Amino acid sequence: MVKLPKTFKTAALILLLVLPVALSACSANNGVAQEGGSSGAAAAADPSPGASSAEASETGGELSYALVSSPDSLDPHRSGLSVSSRVIRTMFDNLVVQLPDHTIQPWLATEWTESEDGLSYIFKLRQDVKFHDGTPFNAEAVKYNFDRVIDPNTKGVSALALLSPYESSEVIDEYTIKLTLSKPSRAFLGNLSAAQLSIVSPTAAAQSGDRFGQHPVGTGPFKFVKWEDNSEIKVERNPDYNWAPALVDNKGSAYLDGIVFKIVPEDATRIGSVQSGQALAAESVPPQNVAALKSDPKFKLLQANTIGLPYTLFINQNREPWNELQARQALQYGIDAGTIVKTLYQGTYEQAWSALTPGMFGYDASLENSIKPDADKADSLLERLGWIKGPDGIRQKDGKRLTLRYVVTSPNREKRNDIAVIVQQQLKKIGIEVEVVVTKDIRTEIFVNDNYDVFGNSDVSGDPSWLSVYYHTAPKGAIGNMSHVSAPELDRWLEQGAVEKDDGRRAELYRNVQQYIRDNAVMVPIYVFPYTVATSRSVENLKFDPLGFPLFNDVRLTK
Amino acid sequence: MVRVVIGRIVSSLLVVVSSSVLVFVIMYLLPGDPIDSMVNVAATPPEVIASLRHQLGVDKPLPQQLADYFGKLLRGDLGTSLLTSEPVLPKIAAQLPPTLELAAVSLAIALIVGLALGVLSAIHRNGPIDWIARFVGLLGISMPNFWSGILLLLVFSIRLGWFPAMGSDGWRTLALPSLTLGLIGAGFLVRIVRNSMLEVMSEPYIVMLRAKGLTERAVMYRHALRNALIPAITVIGLLAGDMLAGTVVMETVFARQGIGRMISDAILSKDMPVVQGVILFSAVVYVVINLLVDLSYSWIDPRVRLRHRTADTGGAIR
Repeated sequence: MVKLPKTFKTAALILLLVLPVALSACSANNGVAQEGGSSGAAAAADPSPGASSAEASETGGELSYALVSSPDSLDPHRSGLSVSSRVIRTMFDNLVVQLPDHTIQPWLATEWTESEDGLSYIFKLRQDVKFHDGTPFNAEAVKYNFDRVIDPNTKGVSALALLSPYESSEVIDEYTIKLTLSKPSRAFLGNLSAAQLSIVSPTAAAQSGDRFGQHPVGTGPFKFVKWEDNSEIKVERNPDYNWAPALVDNKGSAYLDGIVFKIVPEDATRIGSVQSGQALAAESVPPQNVAALKSDPKFKLLQANTIGLPYTLFINQNREPWNELQARQALQYGIDAGTIVKTLYQGTYEQAWSALTPGMFGYDASLENSIKPDADKADSLLERLGWIKGPDGIRQKDGKRLTLRYVVTSPNREKRNDIAVIVQQQLKKIGIEVEVVVTKDIRTEIFVNDNYDVFGNSDVSGDPSWLSVYYHTAPKGAIGNMSHVSAPELDRWLEQGAVEKDDGRRAELYRNVQQYIRDNAVMVPIYVFPYTVATSRSVENLKFDPLGFPLFNDVRLTK
Repeated sequence: MVRVVIGRIVSSLLVVVSSSVLVFVIMYLLPGDPIDSMVNVAATPPEVIASLRHQLGVDKPLPQQLADYFGKLLRGDLGTSLLTSEPVLPKIAAQLPPTLELAAVSLAIALIVGLALGVLSAIHRNGPIDWIARFVGLLGISMPNFWSGILLLLVFSIRLGWFPAMGSDGWRTLALPSLTLGLIGAGFLVRIVRNSMLEVMSEPYIVMLRAKGLTERAVMYRHALRNALIPAITVIGLLAGDMLAGTVVMETVFARQGIGRMISDAILSKDMPVVQGVILFSAVVYVVINLLVDLSYSWIDPRVRLRHRTADTGGAIR
C-alpha cells in the first residue's frame, strides 16, 4: 500500500466521519430543488395562496386532505379500494346519481327509459360536457367506457361486478345510447352511480392503456395534476365544470383552487397534522381522538355512516355443531355486540342489528334491539343440545369439547382482532372455547379449506340486491356465502328482490330476508363503520354522498 | 490490492444475488396473494380471480417465477408493479433520494452524538457526564423507534409546533425522523466507543506516554482516541444498515416518501416485483457501504492487510 503522511490519514478519518453529513446536505438541496409541492409550513401558514384577502373566505385556496392509505390506482374501472374512490370522485362523473332517499337522478345523463322487459335502457346524454383533455362527451364515449369495463384486459373486478348483467351498448345518435342487459336487474341503474362506473376519457384511456390509473382524465369538478408515490395526489379546479349532480348545491366549478391528498398512514401523525395546521382535514379519526376533537372549538369532526353490509360475523353451517339452529342462537345470545362497540369504539361506531346497514333501501329498523344478550338463554340452548359444562367450565358432549375456530385477518383493521378477543371472553362464560386464528391468507383458510366456525366481513354497496352474494345458495365454486346458508324461501326473496319494480313490494322482500337471517341466527351483526373526518374550523360545507364518500364541490375555506 | 478488491466485489455480488433469491422464496412461501388487496375476495367469482392471477403470472410455479425474474433482471428489466402496472425501476429511482437522505442524516447524528458522548463518558468515567451518556445509550437502544418517533412528534410538532409532523420536502421535515433514528444509533455507538476507549486507556503504552510526561490532553486525544476509534469505524457499516432498515418505520410514522415505506406497502399487498426491486437496491447500497468501510479500514490502519482476511486488530497505532 502507498505510504501516506500521518496528517493525511487523520484527515481521511475525519472525512469518513463527516462525509455522511456532507452527502445529506447535497441531497437535502436536491429535495428542495425537486418540485416537492407546497412545503408543510407554507401550507399551514397560508392555506389560500394567490387569493386576495377579501376573496379568501369566499373562493380559492387549496384543501389539504390526509388519507390513511394510498390509492392503488385512479382508474375507476380498475380499482376496488374505497380510498381510491375518494380521490376518483373528485375527477370523474357518472351517468346518474343516487340520492340519500334512494332515488336515481340525472348527472351526465339527462333522462332515461327502461324497456318493458327490463332488458334495455335508453339514455339521453348532456350535450355540453367535455373531458379534461378536450375530448367531447357523447354516446360513443359511454359505449367505450362500458365496453372497457367488460374487457378482461382492463383487469377490472369491482366495476365488472357492478356493471353486470350489462351485455352491450348501441349508439343511437350522438347523445343517445341504448344499453342491453342479459337479464333484468333492479340494481343496475343505481350501480351506474358507483365511483367504479365513472366515465373516463376514451382518448386518454386508449393512450395511457394499462397506466391510465396514474394519468386519470375525466369530466369531474377537479382535474388531475400529479401523483407522487407515498406522498401526495394533487388535483386542481376544472373551470369549465357546470354539471354537478343533485347531491351538492354548487352546480358550477368548485370554490377551491385545488385539493392535495396527502398519504399519512400513522394515526397519530395524521390527526397531528390537522392539530398542528399542516393539513386542513384528515380522514379516519381513531375513536380515542374523537372526544377531544369534538370538544375543541378549533376543529370540526364530521361523520358519515357507510352503507352496505355491516361488519358481520358469519357462522359456518357446514361445521358441527353450528349446523344446528340452537347452537347458532346460543352465539346470538352469547355475543354482546353492544359491549364490544362501547368498549372498543367508545361510542363512535353504531351497533349493527341487521344484515343491512341503516340508510340502505329496505333496512328493517324493527330488528333494532330485538335480541338482547342473555347468557342464561344461551346456556339452556346448549344444554338442550347435550353440551354439558365440564370441570374447566368448557362444555363437552360425547367426550368432545365445544370449541369454536374464529378466523380474523391481519392487519387489525378497525380493531377487528380485538373484537375476536372480546368474543373469546364472552363465549367462555357460556362454556365455549374460542380459538382465535389470525391470518393474512383468508383465501386458503376460508374459501379453499373452509376451516372456520366464525369469520367476519363487511362491504360497501348502494343496493340491497348485493345481499345475494352473501346469503343466496351458492352455486358450486362460489365463495361469498360464508355462512353456507341455503334456504329456498331466502333464495326466492333475493331473486325477486333483484328484479321487483314496485318499491313497496321490494322493501318487503328485503325485510323478509333480514328477518330470516336474524331468526335463523345465520350471522351476528357487530358494527356499522362510520367514515370520520377531522377538519380545521376554516373548512366549510364538506359533504358526503350516501356511500360515505366526501364531496368537495361546495367546500369553502374561511379565514 | 486490485485482486483483493475484485474478490470483494465478486463476493458482494453473491450477497446481492442470494439475498434476492432468499427474499423471493420467502415471499412465495408467505401466505396471502396480491389479489387479496385488489378485490373483495368474498364477492368475486373464483373464475375472475383465477384469470386475474393468470394475467399477473402469480399462478406459475416458484422455479419458473424465479427464472422469469432473473432472466428479465439480466436484461436490466426490474418488471412492473402488479398493483399499478408501473415499471419498478423509475418508481424506486424516485423514492430512493429521500430514503438515502434520511439514512445519511441519521447516521451523521448517530456518529457525532455517539462519538462525543462515548469519548467524554470514558474520560470522565463515573462522573455526571458518564452517567448521562450511559443513560442516553440505554434509552437509545431500548426504546422502540415507532414509540420514540411518536413521542418526538407529539412534543415538537403538535405541542410546540417547531417541526412539521409529516412530509419529505426540506430539512425541517427531516429533523424529527432523523433525530429518532440517530439517537438509536448513538445509543449503540456510545457503548462501543466508551468500552473501547476504556480498554485503550488501560493499555501499557498509555502508562508509558504519561510517564514520558505528555499532557493528559495529548495522551487522550492524540493517542488513545485514535486507537479507540478503529472499532467504531468497523460498526459504521453495521449502523448504516440499521439506519436504512429504520427508515421503513420512520417513513410510515412521519408520512415520508421513500423505499422503506414502498417496501412495507408492497410486502403487505404481496406486490412481488416491487419487493424484489427494493430488496435489490437496499442490498446493493448496504454491500457498497460495507465494502467502502472495509477498504478504508485497512487503509487507515496499515497493520490490517487485506490479503489476510482475518485482520489483526489486537495492537495499536503508535
